[in-house]
Amino acid sequence: MWGYIRLELIRSVRDGGYIVFGVVMPVVMYLLFTNLGLAQGDKHDAAIFTMVSMAAYGALGSAFNNGSGIAEDRAAGWLRQLRLTPMTPAQVVAGKVATGVLGVVPSIAAVLLTGALVNHVTLTPGQWLEIIVLLWVGTVPFSLLGLGNGYRLTGQTAAMANLATMLGLSILGGLWIPVTGFPGWLRAISEWTPSNSYAALSWHAAFGEAPALREIAILAGWLVVFGLYAMYGYRRAGKTA
Amino acid sequence: MENAVSLANVTKTFGATRAVDGLTLTIPRGRTVALLGPNGAGKSTAIGMLLGLFPPDSGTVSLFGRDPEQAVRHGRVGAMPQEGGIITRVTVRELLSFVSRTYREPLPLDRLLALAQLTGLRDRRVDRLSGGQAQRVRFAMAIAGDPELIVLDEPTAALDVEARRELWASMRGFAERGRTILFSTHYLEEADEQADRVIVINRGRVAADGTSAEIKREVALTTVSVTVGGEAAWLGRLPGVTRMEVAGDRARLHSSDPDATVMALARAGAVRDIEVTPADLEDAFVALTATRPLAKENA
Repeated sequence: MWGYIRLELIRSVRDGGYIVFGVVMPVVMYLLFTNLGLAQGDKHDAAIFTMVSMAAYGALGSAFNNGSGIAEDRAAGWLRQLRLTPMTPAQVVAGKVATGVLGVVPSIAAVLLTGALVNHVTLTPGQWLEIIVLLWVGTVPFSLLGLGNGYRLTGQTAAMANLATMLGLSILGGLWIPVTGFPGWLRAISEWTPSNSYAALSWHAAFGEAPALREIAILAGWLVVFGLYAMYGYRRAGKTA
Repeated sequence: MENAVSLANVTKTFGATRAVDGLTLTIPRGRTVALLGPNGAGKSTAIGMLLGLFPPDSGTVSLFGRDPEQAVRHGRVGAMPQEGGIITRVTVRELLSFVSRTYREPLPLDRLLALAQLTGLRDRRVDRLSGGQAQRVRFAMAIAGDPELIVLDEPTAALDVEARRELWASMRGFAERGRTILFSTHYLEEADEQADRVIVINRGRVAADGTSAEIKREVALTTVSVTVGGEAAWLGRLPGVTRMEVAGDRARLHSSDPDATVMALARAGAVRDIEVTPADLEDAFVALTATRPLAKENA
């Protein structure tokens, strides 16, 4: 299974979509938002807040991109080829989930490093550790949603659906524009999204606040929903593979 | 020693189509066997079931005496489906070393590359290879684990003559290691030249099974022609003759045992302008897969 993860990571690194949407764009947007004075309030606070937003946005990009890869692999007959090797279906799925989980690391790292080195964000070591873990572990529901789409939809459709979902969740979750700038009704919706809960956990940590139980509960709820969705997609794909 | 492949009374229906209809066959180890049949004969469905990709509706399928899925898990089978398996953004070496490592006792990579004639292409991206080269990569994935049996579904379809020749050279290299090869094809000359045994499949069942010589004989398509003066009906009663056509003074005898037919003609002193035309497998194939059931044709 390690061989499979390694192979998939090699493929990700060579994937333009992953590099652009998962790593380059979030860093560029972070630098634009913070240095063109687009973020409101105190400069250092804005640098921290936007750093978390953009790290979350990049992580979403690579998590969903990983899901689109599954649809591509299905179309290429790769999943069937894997079924003809000694690997079990469970190993293949676990390998793909692991690839998604590892694939978000460069996205998060790139933005956090830009924050620390370019925008001179200063946090305590404990806070850094906390947001790294929260940003990382929190991507699992999104990986599962992306995989569900990848299993359920065909190549191009899956890629479009994942891109649209990723952008939709990023905007609606307040990763691009803070929810404080949203009209009330939109803000109410936003507070139920997984992307808002995901980023909010790290926002709290970065500003030394305690995590809100509500956010943990919402994210966990979506984790269950997307997990079931991915399982449903996988079962359906198994019948037609 | 148990058979490499064993299908007993296997059926599979997709919607209203019965793709495989009571298929029974066994393949002992160490043979190269062709599954020959027209498009839609049920070859791919049979192969899908014997690789454990989907279960039969009824009947039993086993590889080396066990469940196909288990045989695949244990690395005893390698397969090359009709298409697919060529992914983007990896080199030949990366792809094959990954596949090899999923097996317990794979072929060494250099050996594998040499067998599949890929040594010079090892660092090329697999999605940038020609059709023939990509096919050899797919073949290499099938043999990477050094399995006892490889199953290839129409391995040479869509290949040009040169690429086909190269792939067969690779396959013979693998067969020489005492491995069992089962391949499907609708190229008759391929079955004739490459296989020790040909199983003709039509409408989901076995229409004929034997060496290509036996199959040609079975459908009695060797013709013995002689010039006869006068009454010719007695020729129809000669050994081996199953059917006869008379045109003018020329009689064409269809024989299932042309040697015996010729001997009998010689004994009767009726060998004027004798001509023996062996059937090619193509004639046999057409006869076997014609719309009329074979049984009635032979009766």
